[in-house]
Amino acid sequence: MEAPRLSSLGRDSRASRLIISLLVLGFAALLLAAAVAFYVQRQNETDAAQVAHTLAVEASLGGYASAMERMETARRGLILTQNPAFATIMDEAEKRSRAQLASLAALIADNPEQRARVAELQGHLDVYGRHYRRTLGLRGADRDTLLAGFATDRGVIEVRASRAIVEAMLADELALLREREARQKRTQMWFYATLLTAGLLIILVAAATLLLIRRTLVDLRSSRAELHRLNENLEEVVDARTGELKRANAEIQRFAYIVSHDLRSPLVNVMGFTAELETARQSITSYLAKGEADGWQAPDATTRLAIEEDLPESIGFIRTSTQKMDRLINAILNLSRQGRRTLAPERLDLAALVQGIVATLQHRIDETGTDVVVGDLPLIVNDRLAVEQILSNLIENALKYLQPGRPGVITVAGGTDLGRAFVAVTDNGRGIEPRDHDRVFDLFRRSGVQDQQGEGIGLAHARALAYRLGGTIELQSELGVGSTFRLVLPIEWRSGEEHA
Amino acid sequence: MPDQQPVNIVMIEDDQGHARLIEKNIRRAGISNKIHHFLDGTSALEFLYDAADGPVRNGPALVLLDLNLPDMSGTDILAKLKADSSPLRRTPVVVLTTTDDKVEIQRCYDLGCNVYITKPVNYESFADAIRQLGLFLSVIQVPDPDPA
Repeated sequence: MEAPRLSSLGRDSRASRLIISLLVLGFAALLLAAAVAFYVQRQNETDAAQVAHTLAVEASLGGYASAMERMETARRGLILTQNPAFATIMDEAEKRSRAQLASLAALIADNPEQRARVAELQGHLDVYGRHYRRTLGLRGADRDTLLAGFATDRGVIEVRASRAIVEAMLADELALLREREARQKRTQMWFYATLLTAGLLIILVAAATLLLIRRTLVDLRSSRAELHRLNENLEEVVDARTGELKRANAEIQRFAYIVSHDLRSPLVNVMGFTAELETARQSITSYLAKGEADGWQAPDATTRLAIEEDLPESIGFIRTSTQKMDRLINAILNLSRQGRRTLAPERLDLAALVQGIVATLQHRIDETGTDVVVGDLPLIVNDRLAVEQILSNLIENALKYLQPGRPGVITVAGGTDLGRAFVAVTDNGRGIEPRDHDRVFDLFRRSGVQDQQGEGIGLAHARALAYRLGGTIELQSELGVGSTFRLVLPIEWRSGEEHA
Repeated sequence: MPDQQPVNIVMIEDDQGHARLIEKNIRRAGISNKIHHFLDGTSALEFLYDAADGPVRNGPALVLLDLNLPDMSGTDILAKLKADSSPLRRTPVVVLTTTDDKVEIQRCYDLGCNVYITKPVNYESFADAIRQLGLFLSVIQVPDPDPA
């Protein structure tokens, strides 16, 4: 019965461990996906900014190139037509070129290669500017020379060089753009891959978890059913055992009853015929006395001794022994009768009950000068007579076995503890030796100096009763110091709970 | 006529010693009626109902009954004697036994027993009880059995 329950429990804990680790994995995947999304978003933003930057650089380059071309166009127009309007255009275009170059320099400040090129452009522009101003006022032959060698003109060369540089820069920026676009694409690829993986992982984990939970639930249901079955079975087993115990107990009680009865019968004879013997002896004695008075021959001294001393002595011993035996048999009879008495639980105020017991013992309490203190006691539900018998026995014992020469103090205290009520009877009497702590509860067993009347029945009876009432009696004692008997009872006892 | 018939005492007691002690003490009380002693229930019932000199055919009787008998329970005999159809239902029955169980005593009275006496182990009390019974027997009127 034990094994399947244990294994299913083991499976349960294994399954729940697995479920928890799967859930942790799922959440980790979710977290990873979120982190990746965040990272990729950041990356995208950076990439977009860079692309925008590149585009701005391109635009700036384009602006510069067109300004420069416009400068050259204006210069050529000026040379050709000598129209001063071109000079104004030239100045404007140069200003714009310089402005474009400055903004370009600011844009590509992070790229040393391009910065070098911008510096070159700056150089070319400066040279070009100086050349233009130098050739501005050329007239006549100088102008003809200029025109004749225009193909190798300084300005044209500078413009060409600048154009080449701008193209190189554009090519570079384009390469950068391509590279950045490629990187962006890669990042996005990674993003999708990660998202897909995380998604798949989450789906897998969810599926596995659902499966496991379902299996655990099924397991749970089946183990609950099993438990239910076991429980019902258990009740049956307990019922069967209780029935057996009840039968056994009834048997023992019946046995005790019959034995004590049957023992009593012969005892009546022993007592009866002993009495008859005594009567016979008396008649012989009186006959002897009469014979002597009549001058009749008296029997010899031995016969006289036998009749007058031996016979009464023997008869005396037989009598005391049979009386003792009768008391013992009566005790067994009483115990068995108590065992068969139907107990009737009722509400009991233990304090009032103990006060009642103390009142019945008042005479002896006064006689011995004992101080009896009754504290607060709980209210319980139990059989009045039985509880009264137990407590009365405990208090009587406390009163009976006081330490000679020491004024007795008996305290009755009580309370509830862990759902059970207790009454402790504490005395400062002669105490009980540790080796006798169990023995005093045995039938016909007593402890210490045998200077008090008693058969050794009281505590045995009290404990048997306490067991019947669903309780116990515990003893704490030190020889010569005192004893505490603690009666523990259920707060509310129902006769159905009886372990009989 | 029936008044002059002597009352027979029927003692059903399995213990010889007890029987002897009871008889002795009854005699000491001055009762000289005839005592028929039976050690078991069967022979006692036979005598009570069928014997030529038994109570049914032959005058009034008084039954001293022990409850612990070897062959049947004393209460069975009591029930039989006191049954409505029994010719001996008015015959006084004194239950004399060691049992002092309240339930048992009640049961005997319910069955119609007239007196219940517990045999005390203490002999003085026992002898006293029997002597009192003797005195009691000397004054009570015992009816004739119903003609069967």
